[in-house]
Amino acid sequence: MRIQRLILTFLAFLLGPILSRADDLLSSALPIEQAVDHFIDARLQETGLQPAPPASDANFIRRLTLDLVGRIPTLEETRTFLASSNTSKRVELVDRLMHSPAFVRHQATELDTLLMKGTRGSVRPYLLVILAEKGSWDRIYRDLMLPDENDPKLKSAAEFLRQRVRDLDKLTAEVSSIFFGVNISCAQCHDHPLVADWKQDHFFGMKAFFSRTYESGGRLAERETGLVKFKTTKGVERSAQLMFLTGKVVKPDTSKAAPPKFSARAELVKLSLQPGQRDFFARAIVNRIWHRFFGYGLVMPLDQMHSENPPSHPELLNWLARDLVEHGYDLRRLIRGLVLSRAYARESRWDKGEVPRPNLFAVARVRPLTPMQLAVSLRLAVTDPQTLPPMSKPEELDKRLQGLEASAADLARSFEQPGDDFQVGVGEALLFSNGVAIEKDLLADGGDRLLNRLRRLQTDDEAIDLAMQTILGRLPRDDERKLLGNYLKQRADRPAEARRQMVWALLTSAEFRFNY
Amino acid sequence: MAPNRHSNFCGSPLHAMDRRNFLGTAVAGAAAFAADMTQLNVLQHPALASELKKQQKRCILLWLAGGASQLETWDPKPGAPTGGPFRAIPTSVPGIHISELMPQMAKRMKHTCILRSLNTRIGDHGGGAQLMMRGRRDEPNLKYPDLGAVLARELGRRDSQVPDYVSFYFATEGRSMAPGTAGFLGSRYAPMELYTSMVPENIRRLDSINDLDHKQRAELRELLSKQFAQGRASSSLDSHNEAYQRVRGLMASDKLFDATQEPPKVRDRYGPTLFGEQVMVARRLVEAGVPFVRVARAWWDSHGQNFETHQELVPELDHVMAALLDDLQERGLLDHTLVITLAEFGRTPKINPSLGRDHFATAWSATLSGCGIQGGSVWGKTDAKGEHVVEGEVGAAELFATIYRALGINPQKNYYVGSRPVPLTEPGTKPIKAILA
Repeated sequence: MRIQRLILTFLAFLLGPILSRADDLLSSALPIEQAVDHFIDARLQETGLQPAPPASDANFIRRLTLDLVGRIPTLEETRTFLASSNTSKRVELVDRLMHSPAFVRHQATELDTLLMKGTRGSVRPYLLVILAEKGSWDRIYRDLMLPDENDPKLKSAAEFLRQRVRDLDKLTAEVSSIFFGVNISCAQCHDHPLVADWKQDHFFGMKAFFSRTYESGGRLAERETGLVKFKTTKGVERSAQLMFLTGKVVKPDTSKAAPPKFSARAELVKLSLQPGQRDFFARAIVNRIWHRFFGYGLVMPLDQMHSENPPSHPELLNWLARDLVEHGYDLRRLIRGLVLSRAYARESRWDKGEVPRPNLFAVARVRPLTPMQLAVSLRLAVTDPQTLPPMSKPEELDKRLQGLEASAADLARSFEQPGDDFQVGVGEALLFSNGVAIEKDLLADGGDRLLNRLRRLQTDDEAIDLAMQTILGRLPRDDERKLLGNYLKQRADRPAEARRQMVWALLTSAEFRFNY
Repeated sequence: MAPNRHSNFCGSPLHAMDRRNFLGTAVAGAAAFAADMTQLNVLQHPALASELKKQQKRCILLWLAGGASQLETWDPKPGAPTGGPFRAIPTSVPGIHISELMPQMAKRMKHTCILRSLNTRIGDHGGGAQLMMRGRRDEPNLKYPDLGAVLARELGRRDSQVPDYVSFYFATEGRSMAPGTAGFLGSRYAPMELYTSMVPENIRRLDSINDLDHKQRAELRELLSKQFAQGRASSSLDSHNEAYQRVRGLMASDKLFDATQEPPKVRDRYGPTLFGEQVMVARRLVEAGVPFVRVARAWWDSHGQNFETHQELVPELDHVMAALLDDLQERGLLDHTLVITLAEFGRTPKINPSLGRDHFATAWSATLSGCGIQGGSVWGKTDAKGEHVVEGEVGAAELFATIYRALGINPQKNYYVGSRPVPLTEPGTKPIKAILA
């Protein structure tokens, strides 16, 4: 054994300079965005593929604003950004958006979806508090696993366990999937048929950490003892140990039967964040955040991070996971690095023949908007941009945007949370085509509405330009101007209606529905 | 011991003749074009169009919400201490007896297979409904599509101009416990739900826009979106445009939901009840090519006064189901339409002190009629008191495998969730071959 290891070490030493992609050779001091492009470009070079060109400024600000603050940019934001000749304007934009309160709100919405999808509860109130304090991912994990229900500001973190405590199998499976990127539910009834990593011992070992958790009088509690028993496929009854996914076992400390008590859940948190054990935790969240911004994970599916399903870019995933651990699980740092990479900022159009495999990240993916992104963007798009507070008054602008977010929540419930390979249902198309709420509310033309402004513009050309810029964040191409111009001209007898219909066609266009 | 078998009347001569005519007049291999009628422009060929529509398989599920009693319907036990007050009557198929509350179905037994041996184990409304609508229970990380969503995907057309999964459920009892769900197939296959109105939501144009503008506004949307889609390969993006392309067709289908479009004679046949009207509309829908319709009738949950409840509900079911089978057969649709009666579970043989029967998933009944089914047959048997299955036990998975097979779908067909293959029914599940035509 030892000799083998020595030989391997020696080989690695010899081959090191040749294997320039080995993560131990790429300095951890490198900015994240450079590491991302280093590994992504290296793979592209291997395959001889020229990636898509960089996205235009208009494309970039729309993508970034949707990703960081959950809405399309305002007309002023787009114009200011396009007009700037500052060479570091993209970095400045990233920093401005990430420091706005809307970043915290959007991040809370996204993480709440990750954590609470499929339940009836929400931990968003807790996330808003903790993210405003720049709370790290390990802190969030700890608070969710070991919630302090006595702290009124943080007690909504308990919803994570509370929503699942009546079904410990579900709790076990979802904790494993969300925090560790593995789906071990197949191993509940038998050793996993396809993945050698997952035995029944893993499922029940993980379950043992939760089996003592229960709800009593509306509060979460934990017994000090309790065994999980299960039957193997051969019918042998076994008791599960407190065993983490790595196979590491915690021996219950029975000498501490009296308080301070032994908490199995606290042991899980401690163990899963230890050096040598924490890879699952760090890699899972890196992969999920990567997936959010690139529309495709470094490992797909997101809950199949095991030895037989390797990452597309193993060194990159390792590098990013190490960076995350070294920087205290700071998701903001990770997010900032990802969106500053060249890989993030590519065009989504590919007209050079066969579309490259998604795991090469050669071209940006078209991603459906989430319910809140769509609903808030719709609200903003139908608002007269001149009635918005100027960017020079960020607090006022943010207050107004908060109002739009609040009024969008209802509409958001009409849309489905997109998963991979999301398919838009006909119900959505019918709602937009014939729904009373769309017609009476979104397409209203009084007061502070875009349609009110459009109605009062003299020429069709002006109306087309303003509508396109406000809704799609860009000027029309010539063919589009002609198309829209003809549509309006044919309805010269009813210009207000014609412009309303144009706005409808832009709001329901694929370009609006997706982040591209 | 082999389960009971009775003679089979499936495969009417009418069907054979239609098929000959169809193959005679259409170009060779026309059936192959059935998958894409738009390219054939077949709808301008009324005879061909209606023939193609008939060939398409479809399914109507009569959902007896709350749990109908097998003892007062399909598996009577007259004279047993658990039997209750109703008699059993002979049917048109020698040897098969059903409850006296179902005289009309007794005359039409030749179309129907009774499964008397369901043992599905789950005895609460929510869990039972989930199991019996999906054929299995969800996994923590995987939400399964229900029967309607699977059939919408397997039997519907992507660009269909009619809905592909319609669900009537007007009663409030049990509705939230038995929702239609597309699970991992996503909202493309979600049901069009009718809860309070016979007209689907958002299917009618608002008065604030005229029809031509409504149409041209949609065309404008499509032109803008098509340019955007160029060079951007994404099935989500495609689905968005396809959803909008179906809108005008669906709007034109609103007459399908209008019961008054049927002649009085047909309406009388189904009777004056809401259930009757909805089942008649279900027939209109499948005739127009809708692959799956569920009509829920509630509330069968007779913990008290079981016999009064069933005296009221069973004759209605008997009447409406008989009318449906007759109507489908006369239109030549029965050979291609599977009619199912199913619930979340049956009811206890034991009669409780309130003269009720409680939830019972251990030995209960469902029926399959029409498409792909050996009519006039019984599968499985319960003991003298109806407490246990003694022959041909069937779980939810076998029932679903049988339904899929009857509709020409391979029950082991895989869907892919990410890279994980998910078969339509659990691996190793076998359909009940003996009751398949």
